[in-house]
Order: sequence, then structure tokens, then C-alpha cells
Amino acid sequence: MAHLAHYREAHPIPFVITHWINLVSMIFLIVTGFSIHFPFWPNFMGVARGVHVLCGIVLLLNCIVRVILAFVVKSAPTGGTRVLVADYKTWLPQKDNRHQLGAWIKYYLFLKKDHPLSAKLGVPQKISYLAIPLLIIVMAYTGFSLWGPIMDAPALKAGVNLVGGLMSMRIIHYFLMYVFIIFMFLHVYLANVEGFAPTKLMFLWREHGGLVYDPDQHSIIGEDDEGAKH
Amino acid sequence: MEKEATISGFYEMLEARGVTRRDFMKLCGAIAAAAGVSQLTIPQVAEAVESLIGNAKGNLYPVIWIEAASCTGCTESFAQVDTPDAATVVLEMISLNYSETLSAGAGFSLEEAKEQTIKECAGKYILVYEGAVLEGWEGQALRVADTPGTETLIEAAENAFAVVALGSCAVNGGWMAAYPNPSQACGVQQYLKKAGIDKPVINIPGCPANPEWLTTVLAQVILMEQVPALNDENKPALMFSQTVHDNCERRGHFENGEFVYEFGSEEEALGYCLYPVGCRGPQTKSNCGIVRWNRRRSWCVESGAPCIGCCEANPSNSGQNWVEVNTPFFKRHRDLRIGDFVFQPGTVALTLTGLVAAALVIHGFGMKISGRMDGGADFEKVRKWDEKHPDRAIGHYDVVVEKVPEDSEDQETKAEETEGGKA
Repeated sequence: MAHLAHYREAHPIPFVITHWINLVSMIFLIVTGFSIHFPFWPNFMGVARGVHVLCGIVLLLNCIVRVILAFVVKSAPTGGTRVLVADYKTWLPQKDNRHQLGAWIKYYLFLKKDHPLSAKLGVPQKISYLAIPLLIIVMAYTGFSLWGPIMDAPALKAGVNLVGGLMSMRIIHYFLMYVFIIFMFLHVYLANVEGFAPTKLMFLWREHGGLVYDPDQHSIIGEDDEGAKH
Repeated sequence: MEKEATISGFYEMLEARGVTRRDFMKLCGAIAAAAGVSQLTIPQVAEAVESLIGNAKGNLYPVIWIEAASCTGCTESFAQVDTPDAATVVLEMISLNYSETLSAGAGFSLEEAKEQTIKECAGKYILVYEGAVLEGWEGQALRVADTPGTETLIEAAENAFAVVALGSCAVNGGWMAAYPNPSQACGVQQYLKKAGIDKPVINIPGCPANPEWLTTVLAQVILMEQVPALNDENKPALMFSQTVHDNCERRGHFENGEFVYEFGSEEEALGYCLYPVGCRGPQTKSNCGIVRWNRRRSWCVESGAPCIGCCEANPSNSGQNWVEVNTPFFKRHRDLRIGDFVFQPGTVALTLTGLVAAALVIHGFGMKISGRMDGGADFEKVRKWDEKHPDRAIGHYDVVVEKVPEDSEDQETKAEETEGGKA
């Protein structure tokens, strides 16, 4: 029982919802994307394309909403505490967190025996979460430039000419999907490898007792075994 | 009287080639539609076509048809039909003052005819350029009549009313420009721009180009005495602005998800969509499915072949030639190339994803063995950085990094990180 307590303050309800939307639309996008690339299933193309475009728009809008919410909603800067700060501060690189990058990498490579202390989002996590919104925007751009009804828009056409035609754009769109898939592998693995408590909090908003952390002193100050109690 | 005699003479010429007046008027209607003008203008179109053929009123537009690095396929596509149709006759009978393939003359006398047309009809003739421009070996990669091909192009283009780049090779190098492109093939527009010649270039891609496209463009130039409406790639907008997919007769099967996965299969016999066998229709802009080919008898997809994207030709990028971006034709993706290593994008993506998955499984065993799966290892008592800097105040996780780190503390932090990494 070495992990920190998982309190709802870490993931306020709006972020639980945006996370659900991300998950569902990404899964739909990947499944329909594969069948648009090559129609493995018969009689599915029309549905696949409709769902793909819809989920693409949903994912993009959800991404924009999530970024705006980061400036509006408050969340806890670390696990094991109910202290609240503006969410974007937990998201962007923090001055007092980045020197833990080496510690994190060493921990994951089994070169460091004890668990690094850090903010709610560890340094490698932060890098990947900051990359995801950018990736979603690039993905939407490459996707829209392949979509017949709007592919002639000058802003999209410029990108197509830049990368050397629709075939190249198609391949970039395809490769980026694998970036999402690889991210999901890593994300699911790292979130759950030390126990399913973070997942229960993120999806079901279920709290879990554990160590209590003082974000001002950067030290463990106790233990909360009372589970979901506030 | 004179006019009537001329017209009847003209129809006699058509009839001698097996084309009725009705066929001819149908062609004029098709040209009017393709040019985007009202069907009421058909008589004017007919007149324009007649004058194009050279019968009327000194309004003659001679054509110089130069073949550069080409397979002559674009010439063949209208010259080698067994019974001539109206469009072929028009093209056959334009005042074709120079054509390596079609002119009866050859050698010095033909070259002289070309020189004469360029001098005497300066600003009035149309240059049809078939095949790629070869820049290799200072233009010596193509040498005709003791002159580098590039010089011939410059001379003929400078004095032309308009230049028609006919076929994908002329538009951006086509398959001549495909890897490794030793002769440095490129398109007419790109070359003329580089040579500083400001002349309107009308790009008609295709391998080969459909003769009806050329007929329409020539008729438009005569009819309106101006270059037809072009899209951003200088291709006639009405012919090359929608994808083959948009107007495909098998589109219904695409939307239904009814596909041909294998040639010789039952699905093929049912005429299903050819997308899984590599059809490039969704990314190729051309009206093939509307004008069709060989006197509108059929076209690639109707005859059972997936579109291979021969009309894809970005005139300002010879690397985006249709062969480079579309081969292998029967695969959904093109091949990628790093040096001599040629691969399909899917293979690389799947391999990389598989490696990551395998690494995670191995890492998972490591986590299990080191007992970290139940809540992770015990936390460090104090962060290494705090330990090393006992004199510094402990920071907060809600202080976001400033964009331009100016204070010395930041620089020291960086130095510490590097040190930590080495240790």
C-alpha cells in the first residue's frame, strides 16, 4: 500500500466526462478508421465514414473544451491531497517538478528503487498529455483535408500541397493513428500497472484511501484508510 | 454564299471520314457543356470548331505540337482509333503546322515549317507540349534537330498565344519524373517559371490525356479567345476539380460497403467497388466517369480496372508525379522509400506498435518481479533535488515554469539535471 490516496479533487467531474468522451470517440475513430483504410467488414463503409467524421468533430471539440476548462476548473496539484489550484497549473510544466524527470526515467528503467515524489502528473506523463491536444489538432487537420466535401478549402489544400498530395496526407493520417494507439498502450499500462485505483477514480469517480501528501512540504504526512469519505 | 459553300465543304470533309452532321453537333453540345457555357451557344461552338479546323475567315489558330520526353501515348490516344469520331477529326484537321508523329514531312523541311509558324504567327498559335521537359545534362537529355529540348520549348512558348501541357508528363514530369529520375524530368509550367517566361499554361493531365479534353480546350481558346477557367493547378476547372470517386458509377457500392477484394471473384462479376484493390478514385481529380473514353464507350472503372490516379499531377511539384504517389497500384498505400529500402507504411506502423506492446509486456514482468504492481514501490523520503539544495526553499507544484528562464536558479537546475543523468 504505497500509493497515494485517490481523491476526487484530482479529477473533478468535468474532466471525468471529457475523459470518457475522449475514450469513446478515439475507440470509434480507430475502429472505423481501420475499416475505411481497408474495408474488412462488408456493408459497413457508409456507416464507418459517418461515424468517423462525427467522432472526429466530437474529439476536436472535446479537446478545445478540455483546454478551456483547464483555466476554469480547479483541481488538486498532486494525489493524496484535497488542496485545489487552477487546473492548467497542474498540466503545464512546473518549475518544481521538472527536475524529477531523471528520477522518473530511472524508476521506470528499474535503476531507482524508491518511487519518485511528484505532482499529479509525472514529468513523462505531462509531456505526453501536452502532446495529445496538439496531436488531436494535427489529426483533425489531416483528416479534414481528406474529407471530400471540404478538401478544396484553401487552408486544407495548402497542407496537402505541402506534404506532396492526398496520398501522403492519407499516410500521415494513418501513421498518426498509430501514435494514438501507442499512446493508449502506454497510458493504459502506466495508469494501471501499480493498481486499478487511478482508473476507478477516473472512470467511476470512486475514491480510494492511501497515503496523504502535503504538497507544500513534499512529504507523506499520514495515511487515509477510510476510502471514499470526505 | 461563300459561307455556305465553306460549311458544306466542311461537312463533306466530316462525311468522308464517316462523321455525320448530327455527330458533329453532338460534339459541339458536349464541348459547350464541358466549357460551362449555355447550350444556346452551340452554333457559336460549331463555328469555332470549324474555324479551328481551318476553314473559316482567316481566324485560324495554327498548332505546334511538340513531343518531348513522351511515349507518344497522348498522340496515339486520338490518332490510332479504327474509325474516327468527331473529336478525332477535329484534332486531326486543326492547322497542325508541326508534329513529329503526325506531320507528313520530316527533317529539315518540317523544322523549317515550325520556325516559320513561330515567326509569322507569333502570339497567335497554340503550343501543345506532350511529354516531360528534361533538364538533365544541361538540357542535352533530350535533343531534337540538333537543339536541346529545353531551348526548343523556350522558343516555341515565348511566342505562343497559350501553352497546353498535354498529358501528365507535360504537367509535372509524370512517370518520366518517377524515382530515380536521372534525366531530371519536370513539367512545362515549372520549367517556364524557372526560365522566367510568363505565358499561360493550361495543364491537361492524364496518361494518356483524353482527346475530348484537348478538343474542348482548343475550342474554348478559339471561341472566347482566352484561356478557359482554370483551377489552382492551372487545369481546366470544369474537368479537374472533382474526384473520380465523386462521379463514379460504382459509388453506390462503395457507400453500401460492397467491394471487390480479389480479381476473378464473384464480387468482381457483380461490378462492386474496386477500392480494396487500390482504386485511386477518391484522391484523383478528373471527370473520367463523365466524359468517358474511346468515344464514350467505356472507361477504366467501367471496364473493371481500379483508377490508378494517372491524372494526379501537381504542376509545381514534379516529385508529386502520379507514378511516385500511386505505386504499387493495387495496394491501398503507395510504397515509401528510405535509400534502397522500400516498404509499405502499414508494415512499419504495425512493427513499431508490436515492438512497443512487447516492450510493455516485458516491462510488466519487471514490475511484477520487483513487487511494484501492488501500489508501486515505497516513496522516496525526500526528493533528490531538495536533498542537494538544502539551502533552497521547497517549491510548489502550482508554480508554472516561466517561458524565458532568466534567474540563475533555473540554469543551476538544468546543470543538476545533467549531472543527475550522468550519475
